[in-house]
This record gives sequence, C-alpha cells and structure tokens, in this order.
Amino acid sequence: MSVELKLSRSNRIYRPSEALEGKIIVKTQSSISHYGIRLTVKGSVNLQVRGGSAGVVESFYGVIKPIPIVNRTIEVKSSGKIGSGTSEIPFSVNLRQRDENLERFYETFHGANISIQYLATVDISRGYLHKSLSATMEFIVESDKENSADLQQQPLSPEMAIFYITQDTQRHPLLPELKSGGFRVTGKISTQCSLSGPISGELTVETSAVPIHSIDIQLFRVESVLLGEKIVTETSLVQTTQASDGIADGDVCRNLTLPIYVILPRLLTCPTTLAGPFSVEFKVAIVISFQSELSKLHKKSDAKTPRLWLAMETLLLELVRTK
Amino acid sequence: MEFRHRNYSAELESHALPRLRAGAHPLSAPPPPPPLSQVDAIDCGNTDFYDPLRGTNNDANAAPPDHDNLNEAADHMPTKEWTSFRRLLTQRFPVSKMVSVASMPDVLTRSGKLLEKSSTNMHLEELEDPQKFADEGVKTITWQEYVSRLHELKDEITRSWLAEDRVTSLKLSIKVAKLLMDTSVFEFYPTLFVLVTDIMDMLGNLVWQRIKRKAEFSEDGALRCNLAENFQARDICADAKETCYNWFNKIGAVQELLPRIYLELAILPCWRFLLEQPLDSLRRLVMMIRGLGDPVASAYCRLYMAHCAQKLPSHDIGYLVTCVNDIRVVLMQILSANERTHKNVKLNKKLQVSLMEPTIEYIMKCIFTGLSQRQVNEVLSEFGLMKNQQDLGSVSCVSIILHHLLKELPIEVVSSNVVQILHLIEFSKDNSFDQHMNYRLLGFRLYERKSPVDIVDAVLDKVIQVIALYDSLDEYLKVVDAYTDLILQNQMDNHLKIILEGISKRTWNKGVTEDEMPSLQSLVVKLLSHFKHLEDVFSLDQFPEILDVMYGKSQDVVFLHILNMATRNGRISDPTSIQLLFEISLALHNNIEFMNMKDDDGQVACSIARFVHMVDYGTEMEHHLAFLVDCRGAFGRLNELKETLVHSSNSLAIQALKCAKKHLNFVKSCVTFSEVTIPSISAHRQFDLFLETAEVAFLGGLVSHSDGLIDSAISCLHTLDIIDGFRTPTDVEGLVSSIRKLCGFLIMVPGTLSLPVTYFPNSLFTLISSRSWFEPKMRAQIFSAIILLLTTLSQKRLPYHANSQIPGNDMLYYGDSSYNQELVSLSKLVLENLLSAVQQEPSQAARGIMALEACNCIASSFMLSNELLSSCLTLVETAKSCLSAKDRYLQSTIQLLNKQSPTSVGTMVSTFV
Repeated sequence: MSVELKLSRSNRIYRPSEALEGKIIVKTQSSISHYGIRLTVKGSVNLQVRGGSAGVVESFYGVIKPIPIVNRTIEVKSSGKIGSGTSEIPFSVNLRQRDENLERFYETFHGANISIQYLATVDISRGYLHKSLSATMEFIVESDKENSADLQQQPLSPEMAIFYITQDTQRHPLLPELKSGGFRVTGKISTQCSLSGPISGELTVETSAVPIHSIDIQLFRVESVLLGEKIVTETSLVQTTQASDGIADGDVCRNLTLPIYVILPRLLTCPTTLAGPFSVEFKVAIVISFQSELSKLHKKSDAKTPRLWLAMETLLLELVRTK
Repeated sequence: MEFRHRNYSAELESHALPRLRAGAHPLSAPPPPPPLSQVDAIDCGNTDFYDPLRGTNNDANAAPPDHDNLNEAADHMPTKEWTSFRRLLTQRFPVSKMVSVASMPDVLTRSGKLLEKSSTNMHLEELEDPQKFADEGVKTITWQEYVSRLHELKDEITRSWLAEDRVTSLKLSIKVAKLLMDTSVFEFYPTLFVLVTDIMDMLGNLVWQRIKRKAEFSEDGALRCNLAENFQARDICADAKETCYNWFNKIGAVQELLPRIYLELAILPCWRFLLEQPLDSLRRLVMMIRGLGDPVASAYCRLYMAHCAQKLPSHDIGYLVTCVNDIRVVLMQILSANERTHKNVKLNKKLQVSLMEPTIEYIMKCIFTGLSQRQVNEVLSEFGLMKNQQDLGSVSCVSIILHHLLKELPIEVVSSNVVQILHLIEFSKDNSFDQHMNYRLLGFRLYERKSPVDIVDAVLDKVIQVIALYDSLDEYLKVVDAYTDLILQNQMDNHLKIILEGISKRTWNKGVTEDEMPSLQSLVVKLLSHFKHLEDVFSLDQFPEILDVMYGKSQDVVFLHILNMATRNGRISDPTSIQLLFEISLALHNNIEFMNMKDDDGQVACSIARFVHMVDYGTEMEHHLAFLVDCRGAFGRLNELKETLVHSSNSLAIQALKCAKKHLNFVKSCVTFSEVTIPSISAHRQFDLFLETAEVAFLGGLVSHSDGLIDSAISCLHTLDIIDGFRTPTDVEGLVSSIRKLCGFLIMVPGTLSLPVTYFPNSLFTLISSRSWFEPKMRAQIFSAIILLLTTLSQKRLPYHANSQIPGNDMLYYGDSSYNQELVSLSKLVLENLLSAVQQEPSQAARGIMALEACNCIASSFMLSNELLSSCLTLVETAKSCLSAKDRYLQSTIQLLNKQSPTSVGTMVSTFV
C-alpha cells in the first residue's frame, strides 16, 4: 500500500499564476475505504540565524518563526473507496487566489540561513483505526510576469560595471613583490543579470610582475534576517568559476581579452529579494590569485578572507527573473 | 614397325592457312562503338557469350542501400582526417615507459570502486577540495597502466550511462577531462589528448542521442516528430530543451576552466537544441580558451575545438583564425620569456613548441580547406599579414605558424605573392622553427606550379644570398635541395654552378655526415634525372667532386641512378664511360653484402647486367671478350649477370661469324668462355644456356664442341631434381619446351663414328625415365618429342640443315639398314614408355588430352600396323572415357586415324564415333 505524487512537469517548476497539476498514484493490493483525499499546498520562508561574527547574536541562535506564503488544502475526493491495483487520481490546485492577501510568492531558494520552499502533500485519511497515507513533494516556484511587472518582456538592458584591479585598489595587505611589482587587471562585468542567462563580461590582464595562478569569479549570497531590532547578515560562497588558469605551467596571457561567463546554478539562486523581515542579495567577486609559495601552505582558504597573494574586486549583483 | 614417310614441304603447303590481305591494321584505333541498344540485341542473340563484368538485369534494379538507416548510427562520426590525424599524433611523439605526472589524480589509482560507492559518499567527495590529491612532488605511472586505466574509465562511463546513472557518467567524464590539466606528462600529452577526447566524443554523442530522442519521442515512446538534418531550436519541445539546458548547467558548474571547456565542446552540437545561432557559443569558447595559461594545454584545447566545430552543420572559420592568432600571442610570449623564471623549468621551450606544432598544423588545414581567393585574402589580413588589400606586408610572423601557413596556402596565392612571402620568411626568425626550413618549403611550393622566370630568378637571387651565409652544410643542403628542381627547370646554369660550388666548399671543410647524406642524395638524384646524357652531368664542374664525398647507402642509390641513366640511351662504346661504369658497378656489387637480399639488390643486379649487355666495343671483339672475362671475375656474386655474360659471349661469337673474315679461333674462345662460365650458374638455367651455346658452336662448325655441350646439357638434368623450388608450373613447362627444342636441334646434329647414332636421344630417354620427379605429363610430352625426332631422322630428306658445310644424317646414313634398325628399336622402347606414362596420369582431363597427343604422335610417325592401331584404339578409348564425346580434339584425332589406317580398319574405327 503506497501513495505517491507525480507532478505534470518533470522539472517541477510552476508559476504563482498557474495551477499545480498532477496525479496522486495509489498502489494497493486490496481495495481500501477512506474518509477523503486532501491535497495541501504549503509555502513558507524559513529563517534561521547561526553563529554570526558578533557574539551578541549567539544568544539568539535558533530558528525564527517561518513566514507563511501559502497554505491551502483542497479535497480531491470525498470519502469513498479505492480499488485494488494502481489508481491514478488527477488534481489541480490554483497557487494564488485573487482574494488572497498573504505574502507575495517568493521564488524557491535554498540558502544558508534563508530557505524558501514549497511543498505539496497528499493525505488519505482512513479513520482512527488505520494510519493515514501521505506523501510530500517539493515543487519549485519561479515568479511570473505579474510579480515582476516592471521587468517583464522588455529585454534586460545589460548593466555592466567597469572595474580595474591594481595593487592600489586593495584594502588588505599584499605580498611585498605584488606591492612593488604592480599589476593591473581591467574589465567589465554585469551587475544586473537574468537568472536564465549567464553572468557575462570580460577581463584583461594588462600587466602583472608576478605570474598569475588563477583568476576566479566567485558568486556570493548575502542573506539578511531581521531579528528584533537587529539585522543579521551572512555572506556565503555559492560557486567559484575559474576564468583563467595558470596553474600548470606558464601564465595568463597579457592583453588578451578573456570572457567572463558564469551560468547561475538553479535553486541556489533566486531574484534579489528585499522583503521586510529578510532579504536575499548577491555579490560577484573577481579574485586574482598570484603564484606564491605562501599560497601552498593555505590550501583550503576561506574564500572571503583576503590573503596576501590575492587581489579582488567585489560588486553587488542584482538577479532578476525575465520571461 | 615402319616409319611413315613424310613430305615436309608438301605438308607445310597443305596445312598452311591461306593468307588474305587485311583491310585495317588489327591494332589501329577501333571504329566507333555501335549504339548500346544494338550491343544488347547482339548479346541476346548470342547465348554463349557471357560477360562477367556485366551484371544481370535484376542486379541493376536492386534498391540502393538505405541511407536513412545509416544516418542514425553515423551521427557525428569522426571524419577520416581526424581519425588519421589522431593516429599520427600518437605516433609522432615517442613515449617513454614511465609517465611522470605532477600529481596522481585519484581517478587513475582507484580502479572500478566508484560504482559501488553510496550516493552519500559521492556527495561528500564532491564537497572535498579537488586539490586534495595534489600532493607535492612528481609521481610516476607506467604508460600502459595509464592507458588501460583510461580504457577502464571509458567502460565505466558507458556502463553507468546504460544503467541510467548519467550523473556518474558526467562526474567520471569531468575527472577524465581534468587529466588534461597536467601537461608535465610531456610527450605523453598528445596520446593522453587522443584518449581523453575519445571519451569526450563518446559522452557528447550519448548526450546528443538522448536529447534528440527526447525531442523526437514523447515520454511514453510515441513519435513526436522526425527531426530534419537541419532542424532549428524552435522545432524542439520544451522537455528536450529543459534536459539540454540542464546538461549545460551541470557542466557550467565545473569550477576548473579546462574541464569545463572540454565538456562544453563535447556537447557543443547540443547548443542547436537551444539556440538558433549555436556559433555564438563557439566564439565565446575561443575566448574562454585564452584563459588557459599553459601553452600546450591551450593549444590542444583549440585543437579539440577545431574538431568539435566540424560537428556543427555550418561553421565559418573566423573562430579558427582567432585561434591561430591566440596561439601566436602565446608563442611570442614563450619565445620572449627568456629571463622569466618558469615554475617548471624542466619543460624546455623546444619540446613545448614541438608539442604544439601538430595543433597548429591541424587548425591551419581546417582553415584553408576549400577557401576562395577572396577568403584567403581575408584570412591573411586577419593574421595581420596584409599590408593592404592586395599585398602581403613585410611584417613578421612566428616562424612555426608561418611554416604551416605556407604549407596550406593555395598555390596561386604562393606564386603571386612569392616575393612578399620571402620577406615574411626573412623577418620571421625565432626559435620556434628553423628559418631555413621555411626557405626550403617555399622552394617546394614554388615548384608545384610553373612560375614566371623573372620571379623564380628574383627568389633564387635572394635565397642564394641568404644561404651563402650559412655555415652548416646540412642547412645549406636542405634549402638548396628544394630549389634544385626550379633551377633545372628554368635552366639557370649560373645558379646551378653557385650552389654546386657552395656544396663543395662546405663539404671540403668538414665532410658529409650521415644526417646530411639524404639531402645530398636527393639533390644529386635530381641532377641525374634532369640531364639526358651522363656526359652532361659529369661536365658540371663540381659534380665528380661531390660524387666522391658520398658514401654508404646514398652512394649506392646515386650509383644505381647513374648506371640506369647510362644504359637508358643505347649502346655504350666509349672506353672511359665503360671504365667509370665498371667501377661504379663494382662498388655497388661490393656493397651488396651490406644490404639485405631484397628488391634493392635485385635491382642492382639487373642494372649491372643491363650495363654489361649494353657495352659495345664494335669491331674490337677481343676487347669485348676481355671485358666479359673481367666482369666474370669482378661480379662473382651475381648469378643473373653470368647469364648475361654467356649471352653476350655467344652473341659475340655470332657477330664474329657474320664477319667476312672468319675468326674461327675467336669463336672458339667465346664458346669456351661460355662453356666454362655456365657451370657456376644455378642449375635450372644451365640447360638452356648449354643448349644455346651448343647451337652457337654448331653454327660455327665446332661440331665436337657442340656434342660436348649437348652432353653437358643432358647431364645437367641429373642435378636438377636436387634443387628445390624449381617445380613451379612455368618452370616445368619451360624445361619441357627446352627439351623439345633440344630434340629439334638434334635433327641437324650429325652422328659421329665414335658414338652410336641414337646416342643423344637414347641418353635423354634414359635420363628422363630414370628420374622419378618427371611427372607423367612431362614424360609423355618429352617421349612424343623423341619419337618425332627419331621419325624425322629416318626420312630421306631432313626438313632443315645447319649449313652446307655440316652434312646432315640424311646424307650420312640414309638407306643404311642398321641405322634404320637402331632408330626403330629405340622408337619401340620409347613408345612403350609413352603409352604407360599416359595411363599413369592421375588427372582425368589431362589424361584424355595426353592420350590424344600420343595417338597423334603415333599416327603421324608410323605406318599403322594392326598392333599399333590397337594401341591407338586403346588411347582413343582412354580419351573417350576422360573427355566429352563432342570434344573437337577427340573427333579430329579419330578422323586422322581413319585417314592414316587401311580402309578395313577405318570402318572399324568409325563405329566408335
């Protein structure tokens, strides 16, 4: 005796304006009677604050009450019987209702402190004598045009930021040879970017006295949670993408334009969201690591910590959903 | 038994075919063929005619092979060029037994454990730093181990894919691609590249097939649509697009640049499912490859891109041009980076460049395949080599790139821009490639097509000026060799003189090394092939001098050329030439033992024999014979040559006989020379040579010499059976026909008092019957010949004589009853043996023919007594049992029997028919 949910789309992506459709599949060897088959759609923002940098925050450690987005139950079938074998019961639930005045439908996001999740649960209650059957499945919500009315349809005008990285733009201490020899890396990178497209841009190593070990594009998420009067913010690394590799032998060629092309990972990214109780933002960093004996001693360095052999430029990246 | 009387002249007349005047020469051009339909009509009428090359009508209507089915399997099959290029790539760099790697990736050390791992472990592993196994220090792994591990990985990837575990396939593929990040494997890198890209191609194909299936079939297996060869992204359903996008997403998440590029290239054709303009991705990838700092790794990555781009239905070459420009930048950086400290100092620049060379070569080839003149100009200006729209400018280029560019440039462009190219070569001098090799290449390219003399002249002036400064003979030769053809073609004697002087000056100082010899050989051979007469070559000032410095194999090759050249143009009578060629032949002959007994030596022997044959002292026949004696002494190892010597001395003898003044003693010397020479020749050639010499001696009236030679000929058959490898069908046939020829010759040879008249036929017969290896068929043929000989000898008048001085047996013995008796008794003996030989033949068809031959022999030789007639009838019976009754030979033999036999018997025979 088992029950499972099968959604109409294999990628399980739905928009708030759409109906969540699918089938409830019940497999049983003998026919069973039930007191109704119900389907619940539940979406919420789950917030937590882990040990931040400030000691004060540690006292608040723990889960904060989740923010509900949607919670709706429909009866797919009133009480009756399910015959033996495999039965398929179709269902369809509207995600948003016109009169509904809950929170807006944030996009699915799985972060470190903030997790926006949508679940569909089927329950077949069988009275007090039998355990009720249930199954749960996550589905993914991507916002649609209504939610991002300002951005809809018109193609995203590429907003690029020009950057240049030299020994003088660094706010952390550098190796003496970097300081004295100097380097200059210039380029441009998108600061507003569609979730379906890549982060694009280009960079050029104009000069560098010290050979370059690698150039990476790092994507960070910045999650902020309002906790009482305070805003607790944590920045964490989502993905590192190498744009240039001088690891094996040789060096990155000077004065050749390299493209920046980073495909955004699904689920780990969502549109930049600035809600009252929480916000999700993103940053992109261009990190140049120079060849240095010192770097070999620190294999697993925390990406955020500036090191002597690193030079970087961090920019705010606004992610938006288009089409 | 009674011999049949023969009237040879009457028989000749009655059997001769009437001669008719022919209207047209049989070998002249045939009349225009009749129209095809007529041919068909003729074919239908003549059922006997069967043309094996013409298929039956049914075949012609057979359906052509089903191309639709083939296409499915042939998705993205590697091109022939790529397959052969890959093979060459692995062979080009010798791989040492041990491969050192900068770090030992776990994918190489673990075998086959990955599949059993739980998914939790997999996730954990994923989180770990990829650098965890990047231990310090150099590790080694044997070459075989590395290769077999890669084959295992390929199997693992296929297995996981088939088990629907595509994530594992992808993960393993990423690990495999990462192997290419380590270029410290040096010479192994090209092989590694071939093995890894093979896996990449396989993965790319699997992904392509999967998405294509998704696009063509819905989830429940129903056909959605058939994708056309040139489908567009808009034809693809959302589901397939989603899967495809997912693949690019997964690959995009790979942190390291190099594996990310390789994997995207592997599934590059899949962009067609998503984008209307998949070429945009290619342009981005070209740029991304620039991020690879390692010159070798980036060059091979570009090579893989050139390969993968060919899987797209259409692609321009712009991205390849960018590739080459990028490689040039990289190379310039390597070449200028003298003082900069490299992380890996062991990797020397030379090796690095040579590892990169094949990639440049392949990409250049891809660029210039099927380009129009206008496109070529565009490419050149993209390379920055055009000063303006028409001319190649005087700019420099990295010499190795220039080399491969020059190799691929269409010949029209080369010949119309040759001066500019010369400038380019002049200004492109760096360590990536030897400059003189570019000068050399230009020479070869120029010769591909006839260029105006003034241009060739200008180029040569410049080149000669450049190479005049060369100190090294090797470099000088390499360049000069390439221009020799041009110089000769345009008859620039002045230039020829200069280069020969140049060579001789440089050899004078240091001699010629082994490495330089091939170039020198090539040049000398070109000279030799150009001139018609040997004298012209030797009249070149420095030629004999240059010839002198040659040695070894190259010397042999050149000598052989000279020898062939000398014997090409008819008789050689100049004593100096003969002396020179004799010495050359001697050198070749003496070097034979250093070579393997192969074709080369056969050719040497042939050429020397030809030289000896072509020598002609004219009336100085004694000198000629002396020369032959010298040759016999000098070229002892050449069997073929001795045969030539015998032929030559025999023909000398004939020549002497033809002179008005008879030089009988000289003829005798020649015959003696031959007689002495023959025994040292291999046994199966001896018989013919003895026979030939016997004929010559006989013609010269040296009857006793001739008798002795015939005796030798017959007795040399004794030794034949010892020799193995003689019994090929042609050898056997040849021997039988030689023996028959001997029988024909014996007709003229008169008997002598000291020997019985049937001495020679008898000893021949005795020998043949005593040797078991003479097969029944051979025996039957030889015995028939002996019977016919004996019959002929019994005639009143012999059909031919040698000359009036030597009387034939007809004059000596005719009418002598003991003579006749002797002939008859030998005939009887031979006949018995003939009849039994026929019955011994195992093969039925052959036995039938042999019986008929024997029967014809008897019927034409003897008066048919009852006894003989019954023998004949037995033979006819035998033939009938072996052959079809309609056999024409059988019928004509029966007719002959009817004609020859008394009438009463004739009717009896006819009842058999």
